Amino acid sequence: MFWKVFIPVVAFAVILGWGLPLAVAADLTKANASFEVNKMGDMSDFDPNKPVIPTGDTIKIALVASFSGPAALVGQIYYISVLWAAHDINKRGGILVDGKKKLVEVIKADHMGKPDQCKKICERMVLQDKVHVLWGTDGSHLMKIINETANKYKVIAHNTASLTDDLQDATNFSRYAFMSSFSTDQIGRGLANYYGQRKKEKKFYILCQDYMFGHAMAAGFKKGLKEFYPEAEIVGEDYHKLFLTDFAPYLTKIKAAGAEVVYTGDWIPDAANLLKQSRQMGITLPFAHIFLDEPNFLHEVGVDGTKGLVQLSQMYTDNPYFKTPEQIKYYKMWNDLWKTKWQAPFNTKLFEHGGGNIGSYNQQTYWLLSVIERAASTDPEKIIKVWEGDTYRFVNGKTLKMRPCDHKAIQDLYVAEFVVPDEQKVDFNIPPHHWFTGCSYAGPSAKIPADKVLPLMDEKLDRCKGKNGWGE
Amino acid sequence: MDPKTAMYIAQGIHGLAYGMILFLVASGLNIIFGMMGILNLAHAAFFMLSAYFCFQFVSLTGSFWAALLLAPVATAFFGILVERFLLRQVRGLGHMAELILTVGVSLVILAAVKIFWGTESLPVKIPPLLTGLVSIAGMDYPVYRLFVIGMALTVLAIMSLLLYKTRLGKIVRAAVSDAGMVSALGINIPLVFMLVFGIGIWLAGIAGVAVAPILTVFPGLSDQVGMDAFVVVVTGGLGSLSGAFIVAIIFGLLSSYGVQFFSQLAPVLMFLFMAIVLAIKPTGLFGERE
Amino acid sequence: MTNKVSKWVFWLVLVVILAAYPKLFGLYYTNLFVTFAIFALFSVSFNLLLGYTGLLSFGHAMFFGAGGYGTALALKHIEGLALLPAVLIGLLSAAALALILCPLVVRVSGTAFSMLHLAFGELMHVLALKLRNITGGEDGIGGFPIPPVSIPGIVSIDIRQPENFYYFAVVCLGISLLIIWFFTKTPFGQIQIGVRDNAKRIDYLGFKVPQTKAVVYVVSAAFAGVAGSMYALFQNLISSAALNVLTSFAPITITMIGGVGSFFGPIVGSGIFQVIEELTSRYTEQVELVIGLILILVIMFAPMGFMGAISLLKQTWFPSRTARVALKGAS
Repeated sequence: MFWKVFIPVVAFAVILGWGLPLAVAADLTKANASFEVNKMGDMSDFDPNKPVIPTGDTIKIALVASFSGPAALVGQIYYISVLWAAHDINKRGGILVDGKKKLVEVIKADHMGKPDQCKKICERMVLQDKVHVLWGTDGSHLMKIINETANKYKVIAHNTASLTDDLQDATNFSRYAFMSSFSTDQIGRGLANYYGQRKKEKKFYILCQDYMFGHAMAAGFKKGLKEFYPEAEIVGEDYHKLFLTDFAPYLTKIKAAGAEVVYTGDWIPDAANLLKQSRQMGITLPFAHIFLDEPNFLHEVGVDGTKGLVQLSQMYTDNPYFKTPEQIKYYKMWNDLWKTKWQAPFNTKLFEHGGGNIGSYNQQTYWLLSVIERAASTDPEKIIKVWEGDTYRFVNGKTLKMRPCDHKAIQDLYVAEFVVPDEQKVDFNIPPHHWFTGCSYAGPSAKIPADKVLPLMDEKLDRCKGKNGWGE
Repeated sequence: MDPKTAMYIAQGIHGLAYGMILFLVASGLNIIFGMMGILNLAHAAFFMLSAYFCFQFVSLTGSFWAALLLAPVATAFFGILVERFLLRQVRGLGHMAELILTVGVSLVILAAVKIFWGTESLPVKIPPLLTGLVSIAGMDYPVYRLFVIGMALTVLAIMSLLLYKTRLGKIVRAAVSDAGMVSALGINIPLVFMLVFGIGIWLAGIAGVAVAPILTVFPGLSDQVGMDAFVVVVTGGLGSLSGAFIVAIIFGLLSSYGVQFFSQLAPVLMFLFMAIVLAIKPTGLFGERE
Repeated sequence: MTNKVSKWVFWLVLVVILAAYPKLFGLYYTNLFVTFAIFALFSVSFNLLLGYTGLLSFGHAMFFGAGGYGTALALKHIEGLALLPAVLIGLLSAAALALILCPLVVRVSGTAFSMLHLAFGELMHVLALKLRNITGGEDGIGGFPIPPVSIPGIVSIDIRQPENFYYFAVVCLGISLLIIWFFTKTPFGQIQIGVRDNAKRIDYLGFKVPQTKAVVYVVSAAFAGVAGSMYALFQNLISSAALNVLTSFAPITITMIGGVGSFFGPIVGSGIFQVIEELTSRYTEQVELVIGLILILVIMFAPMGFMGAISLLKQTWFPSRTARVALKGAS
């Protein structure tokens, strides 16, 4: 068939450096610090619509994100996640740094999605507002600028949301930049590992956005299939432009290729339109994804249309999701405020559970604040010293380790399959025993142990030479 | 029919459907330019505004059909306001003033949309009557996309009737070639301009409602369609309705068959086609005016 | 005081202020000034085309981008390349692109010219995204080496220091602006105004209209290239964003706000624009609303921009035909 001509021969084995970690020296059972719900301040007055922002002699975090333009929603999501953590710390009385209790100040820094504006705003944050941390952001090309600025002026750059591996490679590595999110290589290989474990589907189609991130996501998955599921077949591979209007031509091609699973790195709105249009066209294939979890549009597609989707998320854990009374308390704190207090735009289903990406940004921020607390200083050198090799346990019991040599987070990953509301109780083990009623959502999850999906390490980076995958 | 042929036919229909949406947007642009000499850079913003109105009317009335009727009219109403109170004031200052003004209007619309509806993606469902698939020659095809094609053709037919069979059409066509003379005949040119602008925006509005159920409604909704429609108008020839129609279909087909056969090159094809056409004929395929 | 003396005093004061600027205003505003200066040159080059030939380009970003990519690629791939040749490569890349397009674009004017440039501009943008191996796509080319300004054996200044870069940028951009200024004052520049106002008459006078248009086109592109080259050096990064429609529209709005018919209009406009951006990004998230409203208000009430408003005030005292000529340039 004609399309076969266009399937590129599977790429080179890009095992850039790290040999298989035979003897795993470290593990993730112990943590240097963990998020403790019982120490939390009184959150009942937390309202993202009316934020209480301390000023003066504070610990300053600049939230570098899009707050205007088409991607302004992203800024809102970051804002509530970070503001929550800051509010909590402030209610506890702040953090003792350099011999003085200081409150946490969150400053919005709008990069408008433009590189030159990003540089300008970062410089303003550092030079004028004297922030201690640049927290970012949507878009790896913008995160690079944040990291560079942080490196130049010697402040901490905290990457929670840009997922490409080259941010921390030999060319771009900066001592001041920390990546506590997962990365494209881990995501791709993690999902490949999942399918290799369950061996139910065999034919995969890759559809990603046509830019660096999309290609990196695809490369990770292809590498993972070679490694964990060699008998799998990639029946097609396409890259579409960003903010595409019409997915029908791609979907028709995918259907004709006989794919059983579509692997996609798309984010909203592309991800939403892809799913919506495929269901409208009667194509019920499952998508393997990371960003298809936005509940508002999942509801639009409905229970049947969302059944069987497969997601890898930084916040998934072993079933069931709630393991301790503290965790339930924490969940209810957020959920109750969402029900009773918050106004638009924070009152939609997107913000209902405080989990998923929002939970992940929120917990990553707590990690940052915990590091500052233990460094007892806003001096970047002291922060770096504590954070390198640090381990931190999230509220859901998941532990992350900051690999010392290249500042990437090591963690177990989990993949969950979306199931109909009645079956969601395997995961959502407290009343009402489902995440949502109007759509399928996370059900049974599978673990991909950290040593199977260690973050890509660039051997060319001097600091990493001769280290194993755990950076030891 | 073997699956391969079915796939090729399906791609053809996808191309037609997308081409028709492009045509609806482009035709409005074209009428406004042809008649008034205004390159309306806010056209895509009106298209988006209509999609938001569609969402609003669907949530108010629960009926997609009411939205299809009302949203474009409401959008056209705003278009008329813009013409009457802004564009008309700067006539005589030249193209550049009109261009910048429309850019300003599009920015204000974008901001307004975000203030009133927020930045999240909003859902619009396909009406029950048009959901599901229909079997064409043994191949399943979504009814809604066929409906979009049909609707665009209907609008095209109405437009041609209006232009070629009515008095208003005669005046419009006459005014395109010599506004001064028509004005001297005692016809109220400003009123005609206002109507034409309204109709142009109404066409963009129809397109906005047509795509709302296919896409989610969000502030970047018009980015691709807006740019594509511009390319259509320029390639087809500014002011030429038939040019816009033909090029819209060509682009629709280019984009679907482009994905099928030269997926890597698909986004470049359209601009390449435009560059080639303009290199040979700077006024576009069917354009006469600059 | 005679007119000439006051002119000299003006220039002297300007040079002193520029020299003391970094010390007076600090690092952040120094960098802001560099951005202002880059966009001032970009807009002046754009206005050279619009104000002096009546050609409105919707794709001027492609020359800006060509300059940026030219310099960035040269510095990345040619080892030991000095700084000024790298800037020159930026200038030449933009000029070369203009030369290639020349035979095509000199034949058209009006809307067709605008649209043709929208088309080519967008083609370049898509190509920059597609040819990832060369251009780095969205991420662009960043972190390329930036050599010092040096006269071998005598002096070597590291312009990676923001303050040094400021002086380097101000000198480069200033010289570029002076060259354009003198270019418009030559008899050749005066012919341009003739082409804009009445091409036929210039033709009858024996000047070749397409050729003179072509020269202005290439010069305009070349200096947009210099602006792009400085932009790439300033950011130490050039990415596809430099080629998109928004970048093409920047000089249009800047020129419009500053005033079309005057040489200094775009410079003033760039300054006003920086101030607006600075204020909006500090005090509101409704950036689009503010900029949109400003554009509408400017067109409605001060269609000739800032310089137009000034000359209108002047005109009340010294009637001249400046304003009318300027108006024509806009149409």
